[in-house]
Amino acid sequence: MIDFLAKKLDWLDVHHWFYIFNDLSLFYIIIPFFVLELIRYAYLKRLDKDLVLDSIANVITFGGFFLVEVILGILAITKVYYWVYNNISLPHLELNWATVICCVLLADFAYYWEHRTMHRIGIGWATHTVHHSSPHFNMSVAYRFGPLDAIMPVVFSLPIVMLGFDPILVLLSEVFVQVFQTLLHTEIIGKLTKPIEFIFNTPSHHRVHHGSNRQYWDKNYAGILIIWDRMLGTFEPEKEKVVYGISQPINSVNPIVVFFHGITRFVKKLGQIKGFSNKLLAFVKPPDWMPKQ
Amino acid sequence: MKNSTLVFRSLGIIIFLAGLAHLFSFGIDTSDDAPTPTIETNAVPVEQPEAENPTEKPVANTAYNPETDHLIGQWKVAYNTEDFKGAIVYKIKKESKVFNAYTHQYQDENGYAEKAKGSKALTITSFNGSKGKGIYNIEYEGKQYEVDCKIAQVDENTFTLSYDYYGYGDVETWKRQ
Ligand SMILES: [Zn+2]
Repeated sequence: MIDFLAKKLDWLDVHHWFYIFNDLSLFYIIIPFFVLELIRYAYLKRLDKDLVLDSIANVITFGGFFLVEVILGILAITKVYYWVYNNISLPHLELNWATVICCVLLADFAYYWEHRTMHRIGIGWATHTVHHSSPHFNMSVAYRFGPLDAIMPVVFSLPIVMLGFDPILVLLSEVFVQVFQTLLHTEIIGKLTKPIEFIFNTPSHHRVHHGSNRQYWDKNYAGILIIWDRMLGTFEPEKEKVVYGISQPINSVNPIVVFFHGITRFVKKLGQIKGFSNKLLAFVKPPDWMPKQ
Repeated sequence: MKNSTLVFRSLGIIIFLAGLAHLFSFGIDTSDDAPTPTIETNAVPVEQPEAENPTEKPVANTAYNPETDHLIGQWKVAYNTEDFKGAIVYKIKKESKVFNAYTHQYQDENGYAEKAKGSKALTITSFNGSKGKGIYNIEYEGKQYEVDCKIAQVDENTFTLSYDYYGYGDVETWKRQ
């Protein structure tokens, strides 16, 4: 076992495995699953215009997000990552099973904190609210992103590079976590067996995360492992039927409105806040924070 | 949950996971898969000068071995790919127990030459005078890969280097300069 974990791996192999899950899963899991969901909606007579337009809006917001991601990636991520890796990092780790597994787990843990931050600071919620604003819950919602969603992960994954992990491995691990997360956006799968529900983030746990029911707010931030939520006090099991969406619904399927509504609301809020330092505080204080008069 | 609890638990998780990775990278000696650098010398003479004159040649490995050491020197490889048309001259040196090839000079199609960075391109881990194995560093989409390769001596002044990786492979002809 120890020998197996410490066995040196080849980059081409590692790339290949990640490629099979990170990239190809779109074709062998996500799209077939979404088709299944559409059939189920049709059967339940819930397949209406709003749902279809909402799904289209989701995919369009992904286009916007992806554009930002690509620009950010080309301009900064690889350069910043490599600078950190070559200048302020622990000794560079070898490529073996232990490193790959630990990197994915660390990326998952970073995802937990990044996600929690997105919910608990003003500017984070201004972009992440987009993802939560759909009243539906299916695979396409996983692709619903806000304009600044690509930035926060960079900040949270740089420490992993500092720990000596190869920047490319860190990026691949982040995408791995994101793709795993994508698969949880479904109503089709109920609760899984106890041990799985205990350790892993599941569709049930993630439905709770998307709930607008008061007890479900700011719970279950996990990517792959739900144990982070259990350890850090943010776990909530699915009991009451989940009502999806946010406390102030946007009631729109216009992709532009959807994509920018968080930023628009945040700018409006800034306008209502008096004093420059209070305005600055609004960026990092919780989304419902308002300065005392 | 108290903020201090959150910090301590988080640090614990990070230290545990990063520590584990470092332990497996640097703390564990996996002797079985470490490339055992063996130049398969089928000749004995290396030992003899040492026995006769122990102070003069403390490192037996670097002693000249006529069976294999004709690899030392400059070798030229012509390339004709979409990315690069021209040739690269490599310099093979014997270092410790292995032969390493470093880039020495780039030549374009018109024979115009430019000095290379001198980065390590190939490590020949075993060679018996006619056949050998090694690790070849190839660049693919801006990333370096270490790929297993085979070398075979064709004649005194030529050997071939071949590798195959997921159908991404090639046979290169190395000519003595
Ligand atoms: Zn969220």
